[in-house]
Amino acid sequence: MRILKLQKKDFFPFLEVISKKAELWAPVAKQGGPPAETLPDPHWASLAKREKFSFERIQDFSKIAMNTTRTIIPPKKIMVPASFNMFHFDEKEYREDLSHVTNRILFGVHPCDIHGLLILDKLFSQAYSDPYYLEARKKTIILGLSCWPDEFCFCKSTHTDIIEEGYDLFFTNLESHFLVWIGSSRGDDLIRLAPDYFDERLTEKDIKTYINWQEERDNAFQTEINFTRLPDLMELKYKAPFWEEAGAACLACGSCSMVCPTCNCYNVVDKQFLGNRPGQRLRYWDSCTLTEYSEVAGGENFRGHKSQRLRLWYTHKLRAYVSKYGKPSCVGCGRCLVTCPVQIHAKSVADALEGHPVDAFWKKFAEEVSK
Amino acid sequence: MAQDKLKIGVYELTGCAGDALLIVDCEEELVPIFTAADIEVFLMAKSDNRHGDLDLALVEGSVSTEKEKEELLDIRRRSKIVVAFGNCACVGGIQAAFLDKKNWEKNLKKVYGNHDFSHSQPVQSKPIDAFVKVDYYLPGCPVGKEQFLSTFNRLLRGNPPELYRFPVCIECKWQENDCLLNKDILCLGPLTLGGCGSVCPDHNIPCFGCWGPTEEANLTSEYRLLLNKGFDVAAIKNRMANYSGTRIAEFFETFRKEKR
Repeated sequence: MRILKLQKKDFFPFLEVISKKAELWAPVAKQGGPPAETLPDPHWASLAKREKFSFERIQDFSKIAMNTTRTIIPPKKIMVPASFNMFHFDEKEYREDLSHVTNRILFGVHPCDIHGLLILDKLFSQAYSDPYYLEARKKTIILGLSCWPDEFCFCKSTHTDIIEEGYDLFFTNLESHFLVWIGSSRGDDLIRLAPDYFDERLTEKDIKTYINWQEERDNAFQTEINFTRLPDLMELKYKAPFWEEAGAACLACGSCSMVCPTCNCYNVVDKQFLGNRPGQRLRYWDSCTLTEYSEVAGGENFRGHKSQRLRLWYTHKLRAYVSKYGKPSCVGCGRCLVTCPVQIHAKSVADALEGHPVDAFWKKFAEEVSK
Repeated sequence: MAQDKLKIGVYELTGCAGDALLIVDCEEELVPIFTAADIEVFLMAKSDNRHGDLDLALVEGSVSTEKEKEELLDIRRRSKIVVAFGNCACVGGIQAAFLDKKNWEKNLKKVYGNHDFSHSQPVQSKPIDAFVKVDYYLPGCPVGKEQFLSTFNRLLRGNPPELYRFPVCIECKWQENDCLLNKDILCLGPLTLGGCGSVCPDHNIPCFGCWGPTEEANLTSEYRLLLNKGFDVAAIKNRMANYSGTRIAEFFETFRKEKR
């Protein structure tokens, strides 16, 4: 691993060089939304005021959002689109469709999202590996970017605030320059396309600046969750009444799964057409919080109530993945915190598991309804 | 072989005929549709309609007259499979937005006075499953073209349709939209059946619920959530009743009793 210095003025020229090699994708600001002053609820008002971001194809480098927190949807959408055709078929044969796979450079991926991809790598390369995911993953160059936590980030608690693997280059965004980590030979090749922009000689001052930045960032986290206790608490509180309360408020909208960097479940349906038009086997993002997910032939449902499905969701994130891989499959990105309309998310569920007071709509709802 | 083709009828009760029009609008697929099946009845598209036994009846619209009720019962008797075709047939549509019977009778009187209904006696508008057994529900206002074509195809092959059962929010997130409900906008996405491609939220317009409620629509939770966001009861009730009147009448009835 090498660490190089890149002056800010040389950043766009470097992108210019590498974007000739592949499509460049990065976070950009999304439009829309009402003026935040009209929102009575301070939780959502503070959120609505902020710009939202999305990974998009970049034509104009100045559109790249450098100081973002999370995008609405994590970079999993690049590897597995929300809905895509797996293959075309007719009565004789099938033809695989890998049209979603292109050579891409994905810039601006934060440490939590890189960890998210590393978790998906494990899940999609088990005994029956997923060619659609792996093919797109192979063709996507990951350029990480450092970030600054807002009050919903808790990646320090999940130990996903720093990154040791899973990137080709990683840019730490300091005031006057970038420090660039080379994480793979593919990343090194990119540097070799424009070696003159990079400086290998880091001064004592540069190192000190970096250490100061890291310490400051380390102290900037406002949300903390004690994950070491949670696997046990998931077991001990398996029948706790708060699951029913959360289930009663859950809108079963599935948004938590859509925005989660490690949710990977999908459904597969065949579309057939009249005449000679070939059929399609569609694959789209699914969620275990939806009723159809646990339904089997004959209409029986293993998890007929929302509370059971929510508990399954959290069992996966907080316990099951820990038993198999030694860490939670939550990367602390905070997306569930800013997405769930009734505030069933990692923080409020962890609070409920710990027996702490829960500040969330679903808890308030339970109190209102019981009255 | 011609005699193996399924006999199909497309019927329109009270509605805007938008669902029947959607079939006609499938321009590239029209010839395959009419080739693959014997379309026995389709008032909008042909003149020689034969009202005999059918393998499949697509019924659009809700029942809002005694005459329509009789027609529907007759269709059911003659058809092996009945599909509720579009929002009005599935859940009653806009014409079923009145939540209680008293109000409906009052409004009928207000609009028509003591008019003598010689043609057919009006009844409070209801979805078709209030009168007959429905085999499949194809939701939408109008139904989605893609969902119609794949359903039609599956039915022709003797397979049950594979319909989307998830709420609008799923497709809305696929489009990476910022949640409107979280911006305190009265959006019915979480309660409403998807399949529309979240067209309204894609254009920053909240979901009005035109595909009708999902099987698990959590009316109580969203209702309380909207109250918490500062919306008044009438605004929430009106929006929710708009397209799915009969499906949510029960909820508001329980709620009214609770209040007393």
